[in-house]
This record gives sequence, C-alpha cells and structure tokens, in this order.
Amino acid sequence: MSKWEPKIMAFLCNWCSYGAADLAGVGRLQYSPGIKVIRLPCSGGMNPKYILQAFRHGMDGVWVSGCHPGDCHYLSGNMYARRRFVMFRDLVEYVGLEPGRLHFSWISAAEAGKFQETARKVVAAVKTLGPAKRLVKDIQGEII
Amino acid sequence: MSDKILKKSEIGLLLDRLRSEYRTYAPARQGTSVDWKPLDRAEDLCWTFGNTDMSPKKFFFPQTERLMHFNNDPEAPEGRAMQPESERDFRQALIGIRPCDAKAFRILDRVFGKAESARDPYWQEKREKALLIGLACKDPHPSCFCTSMQCGPHHREGLDVLMTDLDDQVLLTGLTDKGEALIAEFADAPADLLEQAEEQKQEAEKPIGAVANLDNIGAKDLLELYEAGIWDRINEPCLTCGTCTFYCPVCHCFDIQDETQGTYGHRIRNWDTCMSRLFTLHTSGHNPRGTKKDRVRQRFMHKFKYMPMKLEGSAGCVGCGRCVQRCPVNLDVREVIDQMGRAVCPEPV
Amino acid sequence: MKALIEQIRDRAAELLSSGRVDCVIGYKQGTVPMQEQPFFAHTPEDARQLTWSVFCTQNLANFLINRPGKNAVLAKGCVSRSIVGLIKENQIDRDDVYILGIHSPGMVGASKVQERFPGKVLHQVTLEGGELVVQGLDFTEKVPFDEVRRDNCITCTHRNATLYDEFIGEKGEETGGGDIDKVAAPWDALNPDERWESFNQTFQDCIRCYACRNACPLCYCDTCFVDEHNPQWCGKGQQQTDIQTFHLLRAFHCAGRCVDCGACESACPMGIRMRLLTSRLELNVREKYQYSPGLDMESVPPLSYYRQDDPEINSD
Repeated sequence: MSKWEPKIMAFLCNWCSYGAADLAGVGRLQYSPGIKVIRLPCSGGMNPKYILQAFRHGMDGVWVSGCHPGDCHYLSGNMYARRRFVMFRDLVEYVGLEPGRLHFSWISAAEAGKFQETARKVVAAVKTLGPAKRLVKDIQGEII
Repeated sequence: MSDKILKKSEIGLLLDRLRSEYRTYAPARQGTSVDWKPLDRAEDLCWTFGNTDMSPKKFFFPQTERLMHFNNDPEAPEGRAMQPESERDFRQALIGIRPCDAKAFRILDRVFGKAESARDPYWQEKREKALLIGLACKDPHPSCFCTSMQCGPHHREGLDVLMTDLDDQVLLTGLTDKGEALIAEFADAPADLLEQAEEQKQEAEKPIGAVANLDNIGAKDLLELYEAGIWDRINEPCLTCGTCTFYCPVCHCFDIQDETQGTYGHRIRNWDTCMSRLFTLHTSGHNPRGTKKDRVRQRFMHKFKYMPMKLEGSAGCVGCGRCVQRCPVNLDVREVIDQMGRAVCPEPV
Repeated sequence: MKALIEQIRDRAAELLSSGRVDCVIGYKQGTVPMQEQPFFAHTPEDARQLTWSVFCTQNLANFLINRPGKNAVLAKGCVSRSIVGLIKENQIDRDDVYILGIHSPGMVGASKVQERFPGKVLHQVTLEGGELVVQGLDFTEKVPFDEVRRDNCITCTHRNATLYDEFIGEKGEETGGGDIDKVAAPWDALNPDERWESFNQTFQDCIRCYACRNACPLCYCDTCFVDEHNPQWCGKGQQQTDIQTFHLLRAFHCAGRCVDCGACESACPMGIRMRLLTSRLELNVREKYQYSPGLDMESVPPLSYYRQDDPEINSD
C-alpha cells in the first residue's frame, strides 16, 4: 500500500496556479509525480463535468486551483468559481464521496512553496483513502 | 395441445421439472412494485399480481447489452480484433408471464427475424433458449385494452404453456411441443374445469375497455392520416421523454456505441427512444423528425399504421396499458387510437 | 374547487374569444387515477374542458419555452416561480405570457396513496372535503388528504403565485405546514459509507427515461450534457456510474434555480426521490447565499452572482 502513488487530476488556472507549478519546477521543488496537470484559462471555467469525468476515469483525487479572490486575471472568474466549488464539493460529499478526494485552493503565481505544500497535502489526504472506488466507471465488469 | 390439471399446492412439481434445465424467474411483489425476480421456491410464486412494472423484454433484449469486445494491446492473446460475446450457457424460464407480454415477443420475433438478411442473432439466441409459462388474467387492470389489439386475457400466442388460476387448482394448457412435454406427466383436466376456465376468460374480457377498431385506421390512406390535423393537438402535452418506449413490451429501438477504457473496449447496445430529439439527427445536421409533432406522430403511426402494413396486420401494441399508467402527462394511447380511427381523411380544406 | 373551475373556464374563454391570447395552458381531467393532463385550450369551447384539482402535478411553465404566440397559463405558486426564473433566463418573454395566478392546495403524492393499498389496483380517486375517496375493484376507503400530499408541497413556502396578471379565486395560506430546512438533505446525518449506500439505493431503479429532465422547466438546453459525445461525460448504458453522473450533474445544473415544484418526482415512473439530492443544493443556496428562486424579478440566480464576502472554499 505504501508503494501506491495516487493519481490526482489537477486543474490549474493558467495565470496563477499553473504559474506557481511552473515556478515550483524552476525551483526544483519536489512533489508527487502522481499529479497530472490540466491547464484551464481560469478557475471560472471549471465545470463539474470535468471533475466527474476525472473520477470516472479512475483518478483517485481531483484538485482545482485558481487565483486568490480579488486577483483573478479575468477579474471575477474565481468569484463565480468560489460559489461553484462550495456547492459542488458539498454535493459530491453528500452522496458519499469520501472527504479528502476533492480539493480546492487559491495559489498565486509567486507561491511556488504553497503549491508544493498543497500538493503534498492533497496527495497525503488521498493516500489515506486508498484507490478510488466510487464514481468510477469500469467497463470490464459485468453489465447487468 | 393438451389440458392438464395440477393442485396449486403442488405447483412445485412443475418447477422441479424446470430447474434442472432452466433458470427460473417469476413476478414478485416488493412494496408497491412488481418485478421479475429469480424464483427459488414454489411458495414464492405470486398469483395475484396485475402485471409487472417493466415488461420482461429485458430477458431477451437487455437495456444494456455487450455485443463484442476488443483489446488493443499488441500482447493480447486473441489479437487486436473484435471478439464476440460468448453465447449464453443457460436457458431461461419465465413463469407467470401475461399473455400480452408473450404476444409482444411474437411480434418482435418477426421484427428481429423476418428478413433473413437482417436477423438479430442476440434476440434470437435468447428466445430459442427460453420457455414461457403464461398466467391467464382474472382481473384486468382498468388501463388494459388487449382485446382491441388482437390479444386478450387468455390469449395463447407466444406461450409454451398457459396456466389458468382456478383457485386451488391450476389448469395447464400445453401449446407447443416443449410445453406439452413439460406437462405430459400430470393428470388430464376434466371437462368441468375446462368450462370454468372458459367462463373465467369471458368474465375477464367483459370489463376490458374497447378502443377504435384497428381496421378503421388500416382503411385510411397513409399520407392523408399523416397530414391529418389531429397531430397538432395530440403532440402538445408530450414531454418526449422515453417512459412509454421503455415500458412498452413491443418497442425495440436501440443505439449501438463503443466505449473504451485503456486498451480495452466494448461495443454495447442500449435501448433508445424515438421520442428523443436526437433520434433521427443526421451527421449532416438535418433532422427529419426535429419537431415534437413529428416524433409524436411517428410513434403512433408506426405502431398502428406502418407496422400493420409491414407485418400482415399485426399492430405494434398488445394493449398492456403500461404506457397509460406511466406517462407523466397522461397522454393516453387509447384516446390517440380513437382519434386516429375517427380522423376525417382527407381533411376538408 | 367547483367555483374555481368555473372561474378558470370563464376567464380562459374570455381571453381566447377576445384574442388576448392564442392558447390557454391548463389542465384537463385525466384518464388514470390521480393525474390530470396538461391541456391546451385554443378555443372558447376547448376552455370548457379546463379543470383544477389536487391532481395537477405537472409544471406547466415547461410548455411555455419556445412556444410561439401569446399564451395564458394557469400558474400555482411553483409554476409562477418557475416562470419568473425562465423570464430572467430569457427563455420566456414577459409580454407573451398572461399569467392566471392561483393558490395551490398542495398536490397529491400518488405513490403515497398507492403505498396504503399495496397490491391493490386503484380505479378512481376523488377529493371530497379534506379526504381522498379511494375506490378499487371491491373496496372504497377514505384517506386524509393532508397525509398524502406530495413532499415538496408539504414544505412549500409560497403556494400563491408570485407573479401574475390576474388572480383566480382568493389568495390562500402561503405555507404548506412543513419546514423544508428540517427535512432537507437527510443524508447529512450519515457517514460517507452510509451516504454512498443511500445514494446507490435511491437511484438504482433509474431507467434513464429522462422523464424527470423533460418535466423540469429548467432543463431546456438544446443539447443536454448526456447527449454530448466529444467527450462523452455520461454513458448511455445502465452502468451505475453513468446513472449517478446523470443525476448529480442534472441536480447541479438546477442548483439555485430549482423552485422545488416536485414535477420531477411526480414524473418519474419508478418513484425515484431525486429531491433527496436537490434538497442538499437548495439548502446550501438558502443558508450560504440567502436566496430563494422565483420570488422577484430583480435578484440574480446565485451561481450567476457573487459577493466579496462569500463563504470561503476551505474553512482553514
């Protein structure tokens, strides 16, 4: 079990969080290679469809990160995202997705350290939960 | 054809003869729903249900069915080719199927097998491996109209055996070689019980409401009925969901698609509904049934005009009444058939 | 009730004969127990068929979308709230709809009635006084209507139409007697494993007929997400995850817009209680964003809006 690295889908906004990831790379700050990054123009463009699709494909955790409220490159994208994140996480945890699989954060382009730290936290949280079994689509199983 | 008699308390004898060869299923009540469930013990056989919520077509035409699978892995032992699903190694016996549902499958046998070039092997293979023991209806539901659809509460088409519930006894009528062989060892039914069964049939037929004669619709010119003004009103409340098509024992449209996961993939077919806007959407973007009126008209014209034309008079409906009970807007097929029958064609200008 | 029916018929006939509207959308007597049909009266003669009862479970606002011409609609509380939402979302033109507001006595929860008579076929159900008279083949029983009202009707807080051009009858009691905040989101009390179990159980009977989606006035997208295939978010088959994805996303798409009209649960042929999901979202909308849809024409639906002091995503 300790050998298992969770697969985490990270949706990062282009201007801030992705920049932070880049900066972490430049500074050689280490974090789990299990984190797969998808770049979005803005956290406001985050769609719950993507989160469910990630879990469907067997991702053990999903992490969405954007600019700090007030600092959105598009002024207010992350403000809408903030409401959406709260609502959606409450919904999926309400139906039984284990708390700790879906994460949201605000990380600015300069915060490479925070990026590394948050990545570590996300991976640790998902690791304790084990491989994802809920909301996963396995087509090889029996079709009833 | 043979008529045998069996005490209801001894119905287990019939089931024992089946169990070695067949997986047995029967309608079972759970709260307010009635559904097909595996039957383990004779005592669990329910004699007082009306009809099952969903029809038993799922036994021969599952809602989601894997047709074939493939592995795109160069190391895969079977090579990178489509592999058909293996044939079933079990047979199914449906005990307590109502005559309307059994007749529905005879209609579908023709849809899925009439043209040699377009046989549906998935349907046919399951049908060949099935045994249908029907239960004649004593108390039809208010929404039944089978007697207007070339069917009835004691109709025999499509059954191997028909059971008639005579309180503490059951009349078993063998209708096919398979059915007769199954009941051969039981005692012959005396004439008075046969009379009792006939009386029950007539009593059951009495309360079943009649709808317009299908011949009225048959006599109308196709294009004139198609252009009739009735469709403008009939379509209005329809939600174009899919409830009627999924509950109907005769509806049979499906959609095939591939799904993949890593190097594995399978081709599945799922029930589809002609009521959906996308059902006839072409890749070009053209949609011949893009409006709700087109689709609603299609459903009823298909069932009551086109199918009788193509299947020597057989309508695409057995009068089971499920759509009447389940439609969320109470769009009543009986009212539509009535309007189709009474439509003045051609419409006066 | 009879007087209201006469008033509805008279007003509808007048609106039609005066040419004020092309069609009056209301209800007509149904052919099965506990269900009336949505009815479209095009002439004053048609208007004589309009009816009103506790079996008018469909949300008529649904039929106003993309409907040409000028239409009148009989709108109880939830229907009018849906219309308000749809006007704000530019799906209905305020000038093209004439709203006949009415007070809702609460609608029947048909499955609740049937549950009292397991295994029995109901032939006729009528309301007499405060009781439902339920007739079967060989029995007649009475059931207090209060006990079998639809769930969302019990907890309704706006049973009078909120937007209308004229009001049919008298305004009545606004609330249905229940407290939505007490019964919303019942799975909150469970741990994640129990929640998952409840979620599976609730939706395991879904046959993907989309009656819930099509009955909902908020689901008017030209191409629903279930039909998007590049990429495909939601499989078309009966695998559990596909069924769950559909319901989760549909609930979320209606978040902050859902007026809890109950049309989805009434439409579902399998009796699935999808409000167990939606109530969680609407509870959040009320608690976190202090919003209730359909009460006024000015406020913006919460997920299309933000405030600087919104609750943060993480409590730390």
